[in-house]
Amino acid sequence: MKDETGGVRVQGLSKTYRGGVEALKDVTFRVGSGEAFGLLGPNGAGKTTTIGVLTTTVRPTAGEIEVGGFDVAREALDARRVSGIVFQDSVVDRGLSGRANLTLHARLWRVPRDRARERIGELTGVMGLGEVIDRPVRTYSGGQRRRLEIARAVLAEPRVLFLDEPTVGLDPAIRHELWSLIGDLRARDGMTLVLTTHYLEEAERLCERIAIMDRGRVVAMDTPAALLSQLGEEMLEVDGASELVTQLLGDRGIIVGDVFRIGSTITVPFRNGDGDAAVRALRDASLPIRSISVRRPTLDDVYLRLTGASLKG
Amino acid sequence: MQLLTLYRRRLRLLAGNPRELIVPLATPVLFAIVIGPALKKALGSFNPHVDYLTFVSVATVVLLVPLNAMFSGLSVFADREHGALRELLAAPLPRWFPPLANVMATLTITALQVTVLIVAAVARGATYHATASGVLWFVGAVALLTMIYASLAEVMAYRLTSEQEYIGNVPAIAIVPWFFAGSLFPISVLPKGLAIFAKILPGTHALALMRHGLTGGSADGLTAIWGAHGGAASAASFAIVAAFTVGLLLMSARVFRRSAVA
Repeated sequence: MKDETGGVRVQGLSKTYRGGVEALKDVTFRVGSGEAFGLLGPNGAGKTTTIGVLTTTVRPTAGEIEVGGFDVAREALDARRVSGIVFQDSVVDRGLSGRANLTLHARLWRVPRDRARERIGELTGVMGLGEVIDRPVRTYSGGQRRRLEIARAVLAEPRVLFLDEPTVGLDPAIRHELWSLIGDLRARDGMTLVLTTHYLEEAERLCERIAIMDRGRVVAMDTPAALLSQLGEEMLEVDGASELVTQLLGDRGIIVGDVFRIGSTITVPFRNGDGDAAVRALRDASLPIRSISVRRPTLDDVYLRLTGASLKG
Repeated sequence: MQLLTLYRRRLRLLAGNPRELIVPLATPVLFAIVIGPALKKALGSFNPHVDYLTFVSVATVVLLVPLNAMFSGLSVFADREHGALRELLAAPLPRWFPPLANVMATLTITALQVTVLIVAAVARGATYHATASGVLWFVGAVALLTMIYASLAEVMAYRLTSEQEYIGNVPAIAIVPWFFAGSLFPISVLPKGLAIFAKILPGTHALALMRHGLTGGSADGLTAIWGAHGGAASAASFAIVAAFTVGLLLMSARVFRRSAVA
């Protein structure tokens, strides 16, 4: 079914690059108009290729893809016209001023001259770029350049905004600042947001629904809360003696279901408040354990359970 | 409108980089104002219709055009390196616009540089006898040759992975053909095989048209190519240069599209 209102529809998307590398395998998802949707996964999961297909810079091998109601294969120009994108790396002309970059973007996206002037003034204020907007971009700090990139991407009031790892490589303070700005912009303009990230906090903070990708496939898709609830209420993390720990907890009748491990650390999800009992049992047993902790589940745990690998690498 | 925007962007970026404006101009100007007059003095009279300085000064345009186009092509690497290329690929414009806008910007810069070069040559004593139609032949030949080399530069820049590799190819692409184009001597004095090779090069035909436009007479090079000079010979050379232009423009658009979309 065609989404005329500004969403994204991806059906059976596959991409095999020359040389036979299968980057995407039968990926299907739908993003409703005005929804914030995240593609979460480590490097090589297929997130950037997916964004490449959605922005028409990667040709799909198979599948039907619509952006803002336009088929990206047959109506590529229209699909690009209703989209904005913040790339992983900087795409602004460093020799030009911030204003010249924004003006250039406005013209390429055919924003009427008066509206462009109005939007540039508005976004310069919102993004806190007032003092630097007429300076060459090469003099900007990393955070200023990123804010300019976001201003550029939303200047033409796109129906769909793609953010490809928008805060990668930035320090935590700037990252938090950008999350606020993106959240504010979305609240104000009501655009659809498709975000790729391997920062769990970023996905939780900005996205209403998340698709977890692994080796070119979507392995889970839901709201962050629903994904987390699959793991229960708390997670017991034990470093050392992993075989003995599972055996002991089983013997004591403390249910041990989805145990997963990285190296010498095992993680045990609990749904029924058994975490404290498990910690007591382990401490009393005098096993050669280096550390024990109980914490809230995170999306990394979800990812770990689904793929056997950690997003944090 | 979008094409004009891309054209202006490229011009601003080129104008902001003096290296790309001045370096290509240096050698041709040196030829026109130092080497040309020296050769004239050393060799004396060259042809009843044209002195050697004037003969060589037109040829310096055929040296300038490829050098300038190749330097302009370097901006494609800057676009790729700094990522601005991806902004253009994600923009709602036909994929052949960016390479065409680049060619248009190169054409503008070349026009300014050729003007400087001709003025310098005239100041050193070159004498042209151009009619209005002669100027048109000259301008047409310069424009087509610029589009040929600008498109070739685009093709190379999109195909080659590194700037070093690109720069390494510049002498072979931009300078070597100049020696075969009848720049320093008529191609009729070349060994037969090389003369045939020279006639295949677009620069040879473009130079003959430029000389035909600015100096006329039997030294224009058309006679050496076609055995006659006049309307038919000019039209034939123009057709060859135009065919190269169309072919390379199409190739640059195709290579851009193929390199842009994975």
